[in-house]
This record gives sequence, structure tokens and C-alpha cells, in this order.
Amino acid sequence: MLRGAGALAGLLTGVTAAGTLAGCARPEGPDPLEEPLAAARDDAVTAAAAAAAYPELAGRLTPLSRARRAHADALAAEIRRARPDRTATVDAAAGATPAPARPAASAAAAVTALRRSLGTARDGAGALALTVEPSRCGLLTSVAASCAGHVTVLG
Amino acid sequence: MLLTALGTEHAAIWVYGLVSAFLPASTATGLAAASLAHRERRDAVVALLARDGIAAPPAAAAYRPPSPVTDAASAAGLAAVAEDDVAAAWRAVAERTEAATGGELRRLALGAVTAAATVSVTWRDLAGRTPLVAPFPGDGSET
Repeated sequence: MLRGAGALAGLLTGVTAAGTLAGCARPEGPDPLEEPLAAARDDAVTAAAAAAAYPELAGRLTPLSRARRAHADALAAEIRRARPDRTATVDAAAGATPAPARPAASAAAAVTALRRSLGTARDGAGALALTVEPSRCGLLTSVAASCAGHVTVLG
Repeated sequence: MLLTALGTEHAAIWVYGLVSAFLPASTATGLAAASLAHRERRDAVVALLARDGIAAPPAAAAYRPPSPVTDAASAAGLAAVAEDDVAAAWRAVAERTEAATGGELRRLALGAVTAAATVSVTWRDLAGRTPLVAPFPGDGSET
């Protein structure tokens, strides 16, 4: 009896401990970082395509594409860390061949579209930075600031 | 941590006073706006500290630039370093501040890192530094 109870108690403790760990780490639905992640991936692809189509933009758009790729990598890494249940979704979205970015009609149109997209990304990441846990606040603050800087570069 | 951020604001204000004479007139408006933004943020931090009964330490009388300022490029380079320091200090504030209790600090941090990344585009360009925008302003990886 006592041994049985002990074993059961141990089991319950184990379950409770596992429950506690999973309890914080398993909220329902998508991770809130999936939205800025998708935006960063889109911008990276769009900027690279525009740089290829309009070589005169490459000086501004290649660093932009690289920065947005770095944002995507960092956001995806944070989602994998905090939400292992979303890893498959996040990786599948990365592996999917991105819809061919429709080439902008002109270099000016490409810049205008990217500037708008980056402004939206800056505002989205900045708003999210105010609500999330501290470590994510640091990352999103930097992502928002980087987007703001690239808006300035696109002037 | 907040005192570190305040220290970088003091330093940036001093740096802008030093470099303004070396920078092209075309940057005067941006420089004045950047300098004003640092003063306003300094005042906001001083007020926050006062609310908690903490007397803010004053600015140093002078700072030692890492390299001499002799022309537009070196002046812009020093301004970029000052902005890097501001961004790093405020990002550290952001990642140590709880959302529930630190909304005001988080907004200050977001504004500070964003402004640093934005105004640095001009200074890095003049200083010949690339990239013009750090991928993660304030994370300490920029040199």
C-alpha cells in the first residue's frame, strides 16, 4: 500500500512537473511571432527579386534582403525554442517555394512597395514588442528599428 | 541599466555638440532633430528616476572619443558610435523590462533604438560604414 501510494505519488509528481513545463510552453494557436516571421520572409524574397530585376537598386536592396532574411532566421529560432509544437508549421512555410514575387512594373514601383511593406513591418514589430515577454521585446525592438532604418534608406 | 541608457544619452548630446562643426550643412536639420530627441529622452529618464526618488547622475564634463575628430567622415563616425551605444543600452532595457509594469520604459526603448537606427543611416553613409542599417540594432553585434 505504502509503496503503491509512493509510486503513485511519484507518478503524480512527475505528471504535475511535466504539466507545469508544458503549461507555460503550450498556448493554443499560432505563435504571435509567426506574423512578423512571414513578413520578414516575404520582404527578403521580394527585395532579392527586385534587386535582380533592377540592378541599379541592388546597392540598397541586397542589404535589405539580407537583413530581412536574418530577421526571419532569428524569429523562427525563437518560435522553435518557445513553441516546439509550431516548429513543423514554421519550417514547412520556410521550405515552401515562395510564390514568385510578381516583378514590380518599374524600379520606382518596387521601392515604393518595399517601403510600404517595411513601414508595416516596423509598426507591427514595434506594437508586438510592447506586449511580449522581455527577451522577445528585445528582439522585436531591434527588428522594428532595423525596418525603420531601411525605410530611411529607401527614402 | 536605465542609468547606463541615461549615460549614453548624455554622451550622445555631448557628441552632437562636438561634431556639428565638422558635418556638412546638409545634415544640420537631421543633426538638430537627433540632438533634440536625445535631450527629450534624457529628460524623460530623469523624470522617471525622480518619480522613484532617484537623483539622476549628471553628464560628464567631457567624453573621450575613441578616435580624433578631424573631418566630416570622422565626425560622422563618432556620431554613429554614439548612436550604437544608445541603441545597445536601450535594447538592454527593453529585454529586461516586463510588459505589465514597464510599458513606458518599453516605449522609450523602442523609440530610442528606432531613432538610432534611422539617424545612423546618414552618419554611417558619411563615415563610409556598411551596412547602413544594422540587422539587429542594439544587439551588440555591430562594430
